[in-house]
Amino acid sequence: MKSSLLTLRVKRFQKEKDPQRWVEIYQVEIKKRMNLLEALLRIQDEQDGTLAFRYSCRGAVCGSCAMKVNGKIVLACRTHVEDFFGKPPFIEPLPYFPVIRDLIVDMSTFFISHKKIEPYLHDKPVSTQTEYLMDEDERNEINPYIQCILCGICFSSCPAFQKDSEFLGPAILAKAYRFLIDPRDKRNDEILKEVDGQKGVWGCKTVFNCVKVCPKEVPPTHAIVEMRTKIVRYKFASIISQLLSLSKQID
Amino acid sequence: MDLLSHDILIVGGGLTGLRAAIEAKKAGRDVAILSKVHPLRSHSVAAQGGINAALGNALSPIKDTWENHAFDTIKGSDYLADQDAVEVMCREGVERVIEMEHWGTLFSRTKEGKIAQRPFGGTGFPRTCYAADRTGHNLLHTLYEQVTSLQILVYEEWYALSLIVEDGRCIGVLALNFFQGKIIPIYVRALLFATGGYGRIYLRSTNAIINTGSGCFLAYQVGVPLEDMEFIQFHPSSLYGTNILITEAARGEGGYLFNAQGERFMKRYVPHLMELGPRDIVARGIQTEINEGRGFEGGYVHLDLRHLGRKKILDRLPGIRQIAIDFAGIDPILEPIPIQPAQHYSMGGIPTNINGETPLDGLFAAGECACVSVHGANRLGGNSLLETIVFGTRVGKKIAQKAKKEKAGPHQALFQERLRAFQSKLEEISERKGEETCFQLRDEMKSLMTYRVGIFRKESDLQMAKRTIKELGKRFLNVKIKHKGLAFNYEFIQYLELEGMLHLAEAIIEGALARKESRGSHFRTDYLHRDDEHWLRHTLAYKTPEGLRLDYKEVTITSYPPKERTY
Repeated sequence: MKSSLLTLRVKRFQKEKDPQRWVEIYQVEIKKRMNLLEALLRIQDEQDGTLAFRYSCRGAVCGSCAMKVNGKIVLACRTHVEDFFGKPPFIEPLPYFPVIRDLIVDMSTFFISHKKIEPYLHDKPVSTQTEYLMDEDERNEINPYIQCILCGICFSSCPAFQKDSEFLGPAILAKAYRFLIDPRDKRNDEILKEVDGQKGVWGCKTVFNCVKVCPKEVPPTHAIVEMRTKIVRYKFASIISQLLSLSKQID
Repeated sequence: MDLLSHDILIVGGGLTGLRAAIEAKKAGRDVAILSKVHPLRSHSVAAQGGINAALGNALSPIKDTWENHAFDTIKGSDYLADQDAVEVMCREGVERVIEMEHWGTLFSRTKEGKIAQRPFGGTGFPRTCYAADRTGHNLLHTLYEQVTSLQILVYEEWYALSLIVEDGRCIGVLALNFFQGKIIPIYVRALLFATGGYGRIYLRSTNAIINTGSGCFLAYQVGVPLEDMEFIQFHPSSLYGTNILITEAARGEGGYLFNAQGERFMKRYVPHLMELGPRDIVARGIQTEINEGRGFEGGYVHLDLRHLGRKKILDRLPGIRQIAIDFAGIDPILEPIPIQPAQHYSMGGIPTNINGETPLDGLFAAGECACVSVHGANRLGGNSLLETIVFGTRVGKKIAQKAKKEKAGPHQALFQERLRAFQSKLEEISERKGEETCFQLRDEMKSLMTYRVGIFRKESDLQMAKRTIKELGKRFLNVKIKHKGLAFNYEFIQYLELEGMLHLAEAIIEGALARKESRGSHFRTDYLHRDDEHWLRHTLAYKTPEGLRLDYKEVTITSYPPKERTY
């Protein structure tokens, strides 16, 4: 296989160093169809054992290796180095999260938001002997939201999260919607209440960045818009019922 | 000295670890999980095709039963599986799969709205329940959601470094907080290893980069034997180039295998089952085509899905379509997928009984790192996910009972002493003046294992592998670690992982060399047949001061006497 040299610039951060931030330049020999994660692993192996980044599956299913490359937010394992010829990659950690070291960011805000929506099925009682019956149409409706790997890429391209780290964020709102429309989950109002407000669905700027960048084709904005409609409908219905009971009292 | 303490510590945050944690927590114990990655990054997430359980949901002339499932599993194991364990797995599997559905796993559905099931290799029934081809992802996220609801503590991005054993009982671990660079002893009443397999010993592997078998090594290091290590599963279909898994479901849904001459070659190997033969047989078939010059240049064959049509591929196999597009630039709707066999699964591991108890008191193991043994010499597709949740649940219950019985006692002085001993070992390592690097030795080991201890094995290759692994072991003592300190020190982690992998590789080689027969995944070109008279037994490898020692133990046979394995 043909190989050639690629220059990578990596934004680094190590809090015990002086200066703490710098840009490191590496050259790595690349092969056909090599991906960026492989290039970084090579550097870590052969040149610099202190270069810190996360990895696991190397097959775009675990969500570990999200980073910013030439301004785009990607999974490193899914990014081909051949695409960089002519514009050597500049690699940065995921934006809007605090950096722990080099390309490793602190995702605790992400998982705190995750917990807020109680992200587990609040199941309706069914027989322990058999499964809950669900038809394929119902499954297909939930299916796009199930694909989320919680990699954080959508958060890092979300203007609402950039402004407010307490904004629940695209992946988490998509997750809330997944439970909302799951016929096995008994919650309805509880989920809508949790996501109602500026920290929830109303904080979204509906610019669809999350939909564009998601490596798993999850459409969070669609979930957000759907939930807004449901909230409005829910509020409208409760106003009507209040009015009705008021008018009954007057009668 | 910081000292942490828990009733139960579970090392590993994949399906087995999470399932066990849920069970132990529900039993009222103080339980924590320690994992070198966030639980959702565990390798379980990559499982694709499905999970077996005899639900009998798919159309079939006669109804499937758990006994049929047990028989298929035992036959698939080439009669090396312990039949009591297989029966437990197949019987309890039904309830466990339904429980996952109740917890929110989004399985694909039949027309009646039941959990959908597809055919998989080496079975007589469509028994594999699936969530498209992202079954592992769906199951792992469901269990993580349950762990979140139970507020179970997770030490994320921590490593287990060594076991602490006193008076024949495991009472804790030395753990590394990787971000802080601090070694912290954790005292436990009982410890569970759910650390997964050791696929990264091989060059070509479907496994995640993190699958280095550290749990197996840590147990081995303190005298626990390793069972049946020579039985390594090679998956027939990994994507040529990266060796990312292409699920068996691709063949279960009707995909064909073609060699470079355009021939559906599986007719030569299992004419009745064709592409749906068991994994060991299909992998050997593919490798034979490649070895005999009927593969494509570079060493692969074609997996053709085009005749399934766009709709079926998008509905049932969207995940592998995405993988083929992302990593090989090929859309399976339009082109065949280039595939080759690659290491996929570790049948061997830490010996346990059906409740996850190991020979070391206080230490439990389950999942891929354990050897119960439900897979024997060859695992059937769809049985590993089942093993994780069935034995995860069982070990969770058992370890909760154990932890309740054991008395607490901080053993402050002992932990301090072990910590000091470990730290002085590290100092010694970091002062070495050698010239060797871990990655070079690692890469040599990987090539050796793939090319000499792979799908086809023979005496001369294995002898050569034995010598080479010993040499690598000597060279390992001359590895120099450039960076001091433990925080974010990848060199150091690599060093410890390589130390373990070299030992595991040796156990695989020695087991394979001694086993002069062919059984399941262990195929000797110089001993072509199964030999029940001498080899219907499990291998046990012990680490002793004099070196590796092999021993053997009986296979548990209940209702299925060994027969010739024909398909």
